[in-house]
Amino acid sequence: MTSLIHFVQALMIVLGAPLLRGIVGKMKARLQGRQGASVWRPYADLGKLFRKEDLVPPLASPVFRAAPRIVFCTTTVATLLIPVFHPAALLGGAGDFVLFVSMLALARFFLVLGAMYGGGAFGGMGGSREALVSALAEAPFLLGLTSVAILARSTQLSGIVAWTLRQNFFDVSAVHILAFSTLAMVAIAETGRIPVDNPTTHLELTMVHEAMVLEHSGPSLAFLEWANAVKLGLVMSLLVGLFFPWGMAAEPSLLAMGLAVAAFLAKMLALAVVLAVVESSIAKMRMYAVPDYLGVATATGALAVVFTVFGGR
Amino acid sequence: MDLVQLAVGKTLSSSAVFLMLTVLLLAAARRVSTGIILFALQSAIITAQVMATAYTEKSAEAWVVAAMVFALKVVAIPSALLWLVERLKAPRAIQPSFSSAKGVFVAALMIFLSYAAVQPYARQSTVPEDNLAAAVALILTGAFLMVSQRKAIMQIVGLLVLENGIFLAALATTFGMPLVIEIGVFFDLLMGILIMGVFAFRIRDTFEHLDVTKLRRLRG
Repeated sequence: MTSLIHFVQALMIVLGAPLLRGIVGKMKARLQGRQGASVWRPYADLGKLFRKEDLVPPLASPVFRAAPRIVFCTTTVATLLIPVFHPAALLGGAGDFVLFVSMLALARFFLVLGAMYGGGAFGGMGGSREALVSALAEAPFLLGLTSVAILARSTQLSGIVAWTLRQNFFDVSAVHILAFSTLAMVAIAETGRIPVDNPTTHLELTMVHEAMVLEHSGPSLAFLEWANAVKLGLVMSLLVGLFFPWGMAAEPSLLAMGLAVAAFLAKMLALAVVLAVVESSIAKMRMYAVPDYLGVATATGALAVVFTVFGGR
Repeated sequence: MDLVQLAVGKTLSSSAVFLMLTVLLLAAARRVSTGIILFALQSAIITAQVMATAYTEKSAEAWVVAAMVFALKVVAIPSALLWLVERLKAPRAIQPSFSSAKGVFVAALMIFLSYAAVQPYARQSTVPEDNLAAAVALILTGAFLMVSQRKAIMQIVGLLVLENGIFLAALATTFGMPLVIEIGVFFDLLMGILIMGVFAFRIRDTFEHLDVTKLRRLRG
């Protein structure tokens, strides 16, 4: 029964991710005074791409076709590690937060490799930019997760979430605020949202993620787009789970599960609103400003870890 | 009534955390207007803390002080500084002599340092360690902002942050100073801001910019 619940919560992220993307897109359109596409459009896009032919450039190597599938698979495995509406996960016993971060890093590695093996100039440029951003984002990501792990005395994400769930919401600790600001900044860089990368750009000079998928087409592109949407859902539900887990089901009963799912959807919707407002109100920063931005995240992450020993309550 | 009690308790216990967050953001701020708004936010947190202290200590004087902090530091000074920025038509970017990542690292180091400095004192007395550490961190960061920023208005903000730190230290250790002294300090601050505002205008008129690093050269 419990493993079925864990399977369902991972499946919910994977299958619901395109919808989340559609909702964020719709909200952004509304905030900018446009009508916007239907929230179901990402599904239609994926369906269309899956029916199309997979075109491979003549210079590309076999890695080019394998990379999107590997990216999708590793991102999906990462969803099995995070608690969504029940403070436990399918691979929660075997894997800790380091495995989670390394799964995302593996996905990124193959994404960059696929971009570089495409034979196009923009793929290589986007790939090297992505490598820069991910190398700088890794340290604050691990620091932020380490600080909450030290507080919870558990390296497993489900253990951390279960510990936070037992705390009182009003007991704000310095560590939690610092770790949340660190991980929120990292989440924007990880998912390639606006201050770091613009997911809807058509200008090659500013592209990071879009430049990497430029050469892919058909099912390969569908896998990459889907994996990107899953990653957004993954990182958002990680933030929700680590810092706002209240409402999660403590025991595996049907009623508690239903309430937990409703609470989770409400929290994700709230976070999507925040994301849409942030994306509509600030401009994308220059590529040279990104290391500085991630340096700020590293500093707050380091302070969060220091506070677990020093001033933290 | 119970809810008020809860709010007062939480304000006293967790305002230090938010003050430290404003310190970090101030060190990372890239625009003068962001710095001014962050200062207003910081003063609003301090106002809440003064109000909470006034509630627990049941002192009428502290309520007056809270009203004055709010009127002066949350409303009057920030809006005057924002008006000044608007009037001076200075470029909005700060151009500090360091990157914001380095600034945040220095601010983080100062928060750590203030905890280390405060700990032996806080262990012996009943003073809340977090509040005192936040006060010392505000003083250090204010001084750091004054030293490191090149724009004259940002240096004014640094001075105001430093003053906030001193005020908070007095609040944390002795529940605030007597009302007469408090009024004197506020008046002093207001005069200081007025003079500095006039001075910023003069700097701009004479040198056509507000970059204080260029003031070292003599005009023949």
